[in-house]
Amino acid sequence: MNFRANLLASTAALSMTATVGFAEDSSDPIVIPIHNWSSQIVMSNVVGQIFEEMGNNVEYVTTDSQAVYESVRLGDVTLELEVWEGAFGASFRAALEKGGLHDAGDHNAVTREDWWYPMWTKDACPGLPSWEALNECASVFATAETGGKGRYLDGPVDWLKHGKERVEALGMDFVVINAGSAAALWAEIGAAEADKTPVVVFNWTPNFAEAVWPGEFVEFPEWVDGCDKDPSVGPNPDALYDCGNPAQGYLKKAAWDGMKDKWPDAYATLTKVSFTNAQIAEMAKLVDVDELEPEEAAAEWLEANEDVWRGWLPSGS
Amino acid sequence: MVEIASPIAPIRRSVSYDPVIIALLGLAALLCFAKPILPDFLIRVPEAWVPPLANWLDTFFEFIKGDLDTGRPGLIHLTRWFAEGPLAFLLGVTANLLEGKHRWPFFDPLPWSTVAAVAAVIGYYLGGWRLALLGGGTFVWTALVGQWKIAMQTLSVLAVAAPLAFLIGLTLGIMAWKWGWFERMIKPVLAILQTIPFFTYLLPAVIFFKVGPTAGAIATTIYAIPPMVLMTTLGLKKVAPEIIEAGKMSGCTRLQMLFRVFIPSARTEILVGVNQVIMLCLAMVVLTAFIGMPGLGGKLLAMMNSFKLGRSFEIGVTIVLVAITLDRMSKAWVVKLPVHHERGTPWHIRHKYLVMAVAAFVFFLLLSQFVDILDKVGRKQSLSMGREIDTVIKGALAIDAVKSVTETIRYVLNVWVLIPFRNALLWIPTPAFILVVVAFAWGFGGKRPALFATAFFTTVAFSGWWDRSVITLYSVISAVILSVMIGVPLGILASRSKTWATRILLVCDTAQTFPSFIYLLPAIMLFGVSDVTVVLSIVIFTTVPLTRYTIEGLRNVPAEMTEAADMSGATRRQKLLNVQLPMALPTMAVGFNQAIMFAFFMVIIAAFIGTQDLGQELQRTLAGTDLGKNFVLGMNVALMALTFDLTLMSWAGKKNKMLGLSAR
Amino acid sequence: MSTQTPVIRCRNVWKLFGANPEQYLKTMPAGRSYEDIHADGYIAGVKDVSVDVGRGEMLVIMGLSGSGKSTLVRCFSRLHDITGGTIEVEGQDVMALSEKELIELRRSKMGMVFQSFGLLPHRTVLDNVAFPLEMRGQNRHDRRERALEVIKLVGLEGREDYFPRELSGGQQQRVGIARSLAIEPDIWFLDEPFSALDPLIRREMQDEFLRLQEMLGKTIVFITHDFDEALRLADRIAIMKNGAIEQCDTPDQIVLKPRTPYVRKFTEEIEKSRVVHAGVLAKPINGTAVEGDPVAGDLTIHQLARQLVGDTRDNLPVAGKDGALIGVLNRQTALDVLLGDG
Repeated sequence: MNFRANLLASTAALSMTATVGFAEDSSDPIVIPIHNWSSQIVMSNVVGQIFEEMGNNVEYVTTDSQAVYESVRLGDVTLELEVWEGAFGASFRAALEKGGLHDAGDHNAVTREDWWYPMWTKDACPGLPSWEALNECASVFATAETGGKGRYLDGPVDWLKHGKERVEALGMDFVVINAGSAAALWAEIGAAEADKTPVVVFNWTPNFAEAVWPGEFVEFPEWVDGCDKDPSVGPNPDALYDCGNPAQGYLKKAAWDGMKDKWPDAYATLTKVSFTNAQIAEMAKLVDVDELEPEEAAAEWLEANEDVWRGWLPSGS
Repeated sequence: MVEIASPIAPIRRSVSYDPVIIALLGLAALLCFAKPILPDFLIRVPEAWVPPLANWLDTFFEFIKGDLDTGRPGLIHLTRWFAEGPLAFLLGVTANLLEGKHRWPFFDPLPWSTVAAVAAVIGYYLGGWRLALLGGGTFVWTALVGQWKIAMQTLSVLAVAAPLAFLIGLTLGIMAWKWGWFERMIKPVLAILQTIPFFTYLLPAVIFFKVGPTAGAIATTIYAIPPMVLMTTLGLKKVAPEIIEAGKMSGCTRLQMLFRVFIPSARTEILVGVNQVIMLCLAMVVLTAFIGMPGLGGKLLAMMNSFKLGRSFEIGVTIVLVAITLDRMSKAWVVKLPVHHERGTPWHIRHKYLVMAVAAFVFFLLLSQFVDILDKVGRKQSLSMGREIDTVIKGALAIDAVKSVTETIRYVLNVWVLIPFRNALLWIPTPAFILVVVAFAWGFGGKRPALFATAFFTTVAFSGWWDRSVITLYSVISAVILSVMIGVPLGILASRSKTWATRILLVCDTAQTFPSFIYLLPAIMLFGVSDVTVVLSIVIFTTVPLTRYTIEGLRNVPAEMTEAADMSGATRRQKLLNVQLPMALPTMAVGFNQAIMFAFFMVIIAAFIGTQDLGQELQRTLAGTDLGKNFVLGMNVALMALTFDLTLMSWAGKKNKMLGLSAR
Repeated sequence: MSTQTPVIRCRNVWKLFGANPEQYLKTMPAGRSYEDIHADGYIAGVKDVSVDVGRGEMLVIMGLSGSGKSTLVRCFSRLHDITGGTIEVEGQDVMALSEKELIELRRSKMGMVFQSFGLLPHRTVLDNVAFPLEMRGQNRHDRRERALEVIKLVGLEGREDYFPRELSGGQQQRVGIARSLAIEPDIWFLDEPFSALDPLIRREMQDEFLRLQEMLGKTIVFITHDFDEALRLADRIAIMKNGAIEQCDTPDQIVLKPRTPYVRKFTEEIEKSRVVHAGVLAKPINGTAVEGDPVAGDLTIHQLARQLVGDTRDNLPVAGKDGALIGVLNRQTALDVLLGDG
């Protein structure tokens, strides 16, 4: 009967916080969105448990990772802990323009999303990770449908990864196929794993996949600002998207505009929250490899890393 | 690009030489042959001609929506009030009772053993030991594999959504029965609701009803309403005139008539409606996870995204078990008729099931205070075999023999069949394509469906999404043709013996309730992200109704007819071809129609594999707030599906009349 | 027949089915036949019917299917709204009643039995019988008591808790009868109550029905397509064809003096002596010499057959119920009826 214990804990927390004197936060629950990948779920639980520790009520709601920005904007959910530059930058910026949410600071972690291959692929195409080498062994990646050309499995179209444009801009011998979901990407890698078929797919870091399938990103011409807006930037003077994605993409937090006033203490903490790549990988591992439930994983992580998050709490606690 | 001669041929063969059809097809063929010299606007509707429907709709939706921030009046104030007030309250209550969410009435969550015990008693009451085992077993399984909490989260939403769908459906059904104008108005709306892709509901649900369980409940409710309305109206219309007159002569007022005479007399149909509501609610468990539905669906998606096939599979099994339990129980309830007790039977015998349920509940409630495992099964205690199943599935998929077979299938289907077919369809000029569809509607359905086909496909052509619509249609047609080739022979074989029929029907039930998402990953592992995977994952779903209705059609051929055939000295084959199949054809057509509807449903889900059709665009609209575009895309799917629905149902109706069978 | 105001009085009642019956009836020229009306696109369910039902009388409406008999009886209780004419029940114009008044009338004065019983499948025998009482808001105890009483009356004691589907057809119709009697109606409508039953059961139920009627003395409108049944039960018979009443008379008169060829066709096969009563054949005494013991006027000729054959008198005196002489019966006339030459 967990609830009784919870109640005791939360009343205790409440009375404690009351005496310390920062009970200005609203007692309405802070709504934290949960998506369908492990690190985000655990991170949400970690931050949620920190808020609870501060005496706030917290609720989690499962949502789509793209649709969530509209909900943050409306205040239906209070914040978003993982705004990936590559995957969600567009949705985030669109919502930002409409108003209602704002940037609540970056994580320490950097993100990278690009063409990627599992290690065994190197056996068939030893020149990797250079993109020219990849292009030379394009035929290794050919399948029934692609004719002689190599096959690159890009992320879902709505992630706007511009794989096709890059293939054209760099004159690569590849056909770009869009997967419909992240799960479709894993299934392809998973299927290739058995007999070590060479594959090149879209992938990102930090991600559980790194732990399951060691691999590397393909090195494209380095990202230069404007590569997606100005054709003259990059090796091909007449084309956009003729470079790799930024190797150091941001990982942001976003907050509903109303959060500041409604839960000032929690908001202050949110702005301080910052995880590193290693910490995020650790969180994902607790669920993906150790098979813990997210809330247990979060509790475990909090216990093991008190020094990390204590400092984020409002002074006095 | 290989182009096959013409997709028209198989259609032409099955219809008689109606001059209208010949004219339509002739014109279509002419357009095809003349394609090189056709002006561009006869090949595709030019961009400039496409009305900015999405923008108009956006403006319209924005207008009726209103604004929460500025306080501009609109629908959203009402829906938000409902979502945050009564709906949130109800969801809070069920969530508290089932999983102990911190909401009024602040009870502890029920120990799993009490729920399982009560489910077993209900099962026993409705259908004896078998249902008791199924009911109790489902919940025991759920607890033991460590999915109790998420399953209860799901059920807590369904416990609100299903009754809500029932009440709304019942009310609308009564209104449609009472007022002809209302029925005429609501019928097309229901038809659209039944064919429009679920993605089209999701975005409005989020905007109007707030992301979370509220939006999940509303999307589920809306999805489940149509059959309830239809069954209610049907049941009320079927009440015998003498019962109505008996009611009137007993001096019933209008309300008394409705609640004491009509609704109880339409019990069977209404309960069938309830059954369908439950099944449709369960079908939405995974899809609504995109908009905040807690529980099994969300977990399933998370598991799939971390490539844990084993645990996804376990969640799938739970969903199937819950679905089959609720399905069997509600069906048993439909046929359960009251039986009298002899005079003087003591109270506890007359209410023995109630007594048993209460006793079991109290017993396990008390016991679970002392035996923790009966209260909660923790993650570490659970018997989840996720990893092991994972290994088995992945191992099986990686077997060389399997791989070489799938490689061949993938190559043959993709390179020789599917891609050429798709390119051929895309090659056909738009007007020719519409003409072929109209000819099909005319040949099978008659004039009315043909008129609708013209209007619907022309609308699609002018929506600006023609190519994507054609690709959607291509997946649907390919999948349905394949499943006819699989499902019909399977049905014929199974219908030969009762045992096999029962077995195959159970497989059908399971396949239908198993969350389609779970098929996707193994399918991708077998066939890669390709058209074959898309088509085959649809096939799994569409074969079910074809098999089911083939079995049903064949087994329901009147005995005298098969006996007459036997006495005429027909061989088994002659009997099948000359007597059974012709008689079963109208029923099979209903199955065929359902297969097409399922295909339109599944093709959208297949967007998660990777497609270039309407589903992919729809999935994209989830990210933003493009209500207008979302709606236009959904309408395209609905219009194409409705064309087939109208045509085939009209054909089945005509055939039934001809054979003197009652219309379904 | 009673001399008081009739319980049901209908005058020139029309019930037309079609697109716009009221309008059509208003503009319709007089004397249109059923076929003419049909050609105009309307169906005359009830065509210009005028008939009275007296208190305590049993009027049997006889006709083949589609003759309009069921429609007519539904007009009496306003299950159908009539197109033209007037129907008065206990002096009230039923078409003028408000919905509330109509419900009140049905709750207090009318009972109806249906051909296929019209029982509510989800209710027990007891609850079916108590249904009309429940509708008028009687409390649970009273209605149970009353329901048990009528159930006993129709001989279904011990079956109170059965559900309709657990009963045979005859038993189900007893429930229907009990239900229609529960509110102690003054007017009792029976729409082919025994047609759905086996011949043997039908006979038994007719006897049962006569027994009940003896006891209750209700005003009854009874519908049947079975001429024998009509003759057996009726005080008066109204024979209908194409919505109109061909002849409305006592069974004796119908058998003796069929007014139309259609009615005659029904009577041809009938053994008249079983229908015709001595009192009906009797002629005023007017100086005829009568002697000896009188025969009872309420016996049929068939019942008197032995005596008629054996008797030697030309004319037999006939006595009414009170024993007073009401006329003389010519033996030859009676024998003609007996032998079917009448």
